[in-house]
Amino acid sequence: MSTQKSLLRVFSGRTSVLPIALAALAFSTPVMADNMKAANHPWDEHVLTKDMPFSDYAGADSDALQSLIDFGETLFSGKFTPKDGVGRPDATQAIVPTKRRRPTNLAFQRLAGMDANSCASCHNSPVAGGAGDFTANVFVSEGFESADFDTIDPQFSNERGTNALFGAGLVELLAREMTADLQAQRRSVLKEARASGADAKQELSTKGITFGSLTAHPDGTLDVAGLEGVDDDLIIRPFGQKGVFASLRQFTVNALNQHHGIQASERFGARWTGTDDFDGDDVSDEISTGQVSALVAWQATLAPPQRREDLPKEWAEAASTGEKLFSDIGCASCHRPTLPLESSVFLDPSPVENAGTLRTSEVDAPITIDLAETPWGKSLERDAEGRLLVPLFGDLKRHRIADAARPTLGNELLGQRFVARDVFITAELWGIGSTSPYGHRGDLTTLHEVIDAHGGAATDSRKAYSDLDEAQRQSIIAFLRSLEIPQ
Amino acid sequence: MTRMITNPRAHLVAALFLLGATTSSHSQERATTLAPVPVFVEEAAAAGIDHQYKGAWEFFVGGGVAVFDCNADRRPDLFIAGGEAPAAVYKNRSLVGSALSFQRLPSGLSDRLETKILGAYPLDFDNDGIMDLAVLRLGQNILLRGKGECRFENANRDLAFDGGREWTTAFSALWEEEQAFPTLAFGNYVDRSAPGSPWGTCHDNFLFRPTSSDKAEYSDATRLSPGYCSLSILFTDWNRSGSPSLRVSNDRHYYRGGEEQLWALPKDRPPKPYRRSDGWRHLKIWGMGIASIDLNVDGYPEYALTSMGDTKLQMLDDEADETLPIYRDIAFERGVTAHRPYTGEDIRPSTGWHSDFQDVNNDGLWDLFIAKGNVEAMPDFASFDPDNLLLGQWDESFVEVGDIAGIGLDRRGRGAGIADFNMDGLVDMVVVNRESPVSLFRNIGAGDKNTVKPLGNWLAVEIKQPGQANGNAVGAKVSVKVGNRTVVRDVQVGAGHASGQAGFLHFGLGVSERANVRVRWPDGSWSHSYRVFANNHVLINRGDEKVRLWYPPSEN
Repeated sequence: MSTQKSLLRVFSGRTSVLPIALAALAFSTPVMADNMKAANHPWDEHVLTKDMPFSDYAGADSDALQSLIDFGETLFSGKFTPKDGVGRPDATQAIVPTKRRRPTNLAFQRLAGMDANSCASCHNSPVAGGAGDFTANVFVSEGFESADFDTIDPQFSNERGTNALFGAGLVELLAREMTADLQAQRRSVLKEARASGADAKQELSTKGITFGSLTAHPDGTLDVAGLEGVDDDLIIRPFGQKGVFASLRQFTVNALNQHHGIQASERFGARWTGTDDFDGDDVSDEISTGQVSALVAWQATLAPPQRREDLPKEWAEAASTGEKLFSDIGCASCHRPTLPLESSVFLDPSPVENAGTLRTSEVDAPITIDLAETPWGKSLERDAEGRLLVPLFGDLKRHRIADAARPTLGNELLGQRFVARDVFITAELWGIGSTSPYGHRGDLTTLHEVIDAHGGAATDSRKAYSDLDEAQRQSIIAFLRSLEIPQ
Repeated sequence: MTRMITNPRAHLVAALFLLGATTSSHSQERATTLAPVPVFVEEAAAAGIDHQYKGAWEFFVGGGVAVFDCNADRRPDLFIAGGEAPAAVYKNRSLVGSALSFQRLPSGLSDRLETKILGAYPLDFDNDGIMDLAVLRLGQNILLRGKGECRFENANRDLAFDGGREWTTAFSALWEEEQAFPTLAFGNYVDRSAPGSPWGTCHDNFLFRPTSSDKAEYSDATRLSPGYCSLSILFTDWNRSGSPSLRVSNDRHYYRGGEEQLWALPKDRPPKPYRRSDGWRHLKIWGMGIASIDLNVDGYPEYALTSMGDTKLQMLDDEADETLPIYRDIAFERGVTAHRPYTGEDIRPSTGWHSDFQDVNNDGLWDLFIAKGNVEAMPDFASFDPDNLLLGQWDESFVEVGDIAGIGLDRRGRGAGIADFNMDGLVDMVVVNRESPVSLFRNIGAGDKNTVKPLGNWLAVEIKQPGQANGNAVGAKVSVKVGNRTVVRDVQVGAGHASGQAGFLHFGLGVSERANVRVRWPDGSWSHSYRVFANNHVLINRGDEKVRLWYPPSEN
């Protein structure tokens, strides 16, 4: 890599005054990623056909935002090629930039990846952005020690089904507000302990969900042993089967590398790795901040799943009964029917982001999308306080969901990102009528099977379900199957 | 040329000119950093620090600062040497993420004892949980016992410690195996009373091993002879043996027939210098300050040695017998010679003093800071000699960014400390300057004067051995693993130039939002792996199952 080339790449972002100025003054030609350089033809085999400068969409009007969202859909459904940066011959699937120890002879392979040609090749049921069949399972491995595993042996990876993304923008907004609430409670208890000179305890709760407790000491130390269902940093991470990723943007940057070998500059660029081609595929700065934002914008604006309105009378009556039973036997204690959302304004980047994913501090202004202004947003219910009621049937909290008697939902050997093997975030049930098969591994073909697989913290509810008569159990199935992804 | 660039925009312009192939005398040799450059804002006066290190010949050297928590609030406070002026204690009142703020407190020392101080190192020599100070004072060293609330008392008599009459310029300490109290090493400079002084009249150095297991007591000194006018010493486990040796960096300006030194410290036997037959190779430099870090995480630390002219960076020679202390100088290939000013018109050789490896931009790579400044008015050395900030790069080189970062002032730097004074995850700097105000640089990351912008993720780690001797775990090693990469840092007392620090160990985590931390305690046993999330202050007491977190105060 020549010095000039490296400068071009390093300073092509919009994240710092110095780099911009350097690039602007030192070079007279426009800065373009390699995948943008060649002339475009209608028949070109690539997807990243245009840059989407982040600053063009920060504070942009709805027409501009729509073009961003539309391009996001193109990227999500498009089939990436080497011209887009597909390939990571020198890099593993790891979230932290990690070099391979040895070359691999298979660019694509379904286990360690690359394992997909497009986002929609897995997220496609019933439509793009949806879930995936068992055939679309992914194998989750940190990509450090066993980067090239070629077996489904669970000691090397966790096999996971593909989650649906509909309503993901609302989920992330809920998580951000919950994080802010919990961290405010942390500040409060720390302040109380310092002021009083005595230990102070805080029961953590947000949106009606409890997360255990914190004990603060007068010297500013904090005992986090009493936390439940959330990481020690009190960041709600709603994405992934496990609930270990905080934002669509973080997940997107991860997935682009793992599944496609397309490395986002904000994580894999020269600032953090010393090279603009960390994965060694001869494509520099493979996807820009604005292009990632297009993917985020499309995913964030996917309509939330809804209840079928056209149910036959018999089904509607059963579903009504089932919804009540669902609550009565305790399912709704974790699968909360709704959570209230104070603000529907989706900011990209998220205010809850660490280095490696674009942060608020790295842009002049964020991209702002008011989800309440989307066609579907206007029809969402609000509570008496004017808050949007997000009908997710979840609590964005992690629970132990498996035990020796019911191991299926925790049938993994590896923890993930400090979360134990049998602990998972509550699956949001909205859209579940469209997303079979079920379970974290996508290996349960019916709703009855997945309900019956609940163990751990859900044992009582599962037993209560088992104790129902067949008609009652069927009514719960009827209710759940009425929750569908819009098509 | 002594022009000083104080405007960050001017730095930008300067950088642009360098990159754009201008006529600057430095343009041909400046590499460009790919690692992010942190911006530092000098705000000593605004922060309430008004102090200078002053004095005649004896105070051409020294000018140290101890960075440590003296009032048990975990914020790093300062004890700054003054030379002929009184030393100063500054309590840190900075709030998290705010501008820096310090309050001067009385030291509690007599007028006589608080002058003629060259430097200080923090340690808890009496194991009472309150940090004490080893004070390097011309004519009589002092062991200051911490009394809490940043008050100190002279403990020499109680410790049976003879402060001597030497011109002491270096210090290191270590709890040797099975010892309840630390072994103290004092490095001395010129013996002013010897005939022919100062040329060839270097004083011996002294080693004080504890003489009682019941209380801190130092009634006997072991002479480390010959001494070669040491300006920096460090107990260091150079060969991964578990038994540290004493590394001594010496000033060739005054010694005759001397060299850099390494002393073996066999248990219950007198120290013994490594000689050529032991593999030690003759090296003569104007040794001013040692900085130690294990760059390649092989268990064998590397040593940066500041000097007049080029800085050395020593790595064990991998082609030699690994049991022998045979070092290769990799300073040139790594780009850290820092042998002359990197900006301005003065191209005479530099004079380096305090140095330290820290991660100032949190990218996960160690960076090297070097305080620079002419001894006084030595005509063959640069007059305008700005401090260095050499950013570690992914290709293992270092690139100078002192001017771009805003620390390239026209001051004669001596001692220094690098710590996160406002606890925002970006390490700040204090630099003691000779006959100039102390510089206090706040690290604002990628921001500007009005806004702090973070760089990489970070972690601050405090380790303790409660209820044990050596409660601060001097001699421990902290290992932080991110993905497949591991960085390690030793808990040490010593090195630098007349300046020591204690408290949180700072690690940059780059783009990782979590890490695994392990501790090798001073007795050699490893902890289990602690799982921690980035951007936190974590506390690990020996035996803890899980880390605790600490949150700095947001109001006083």
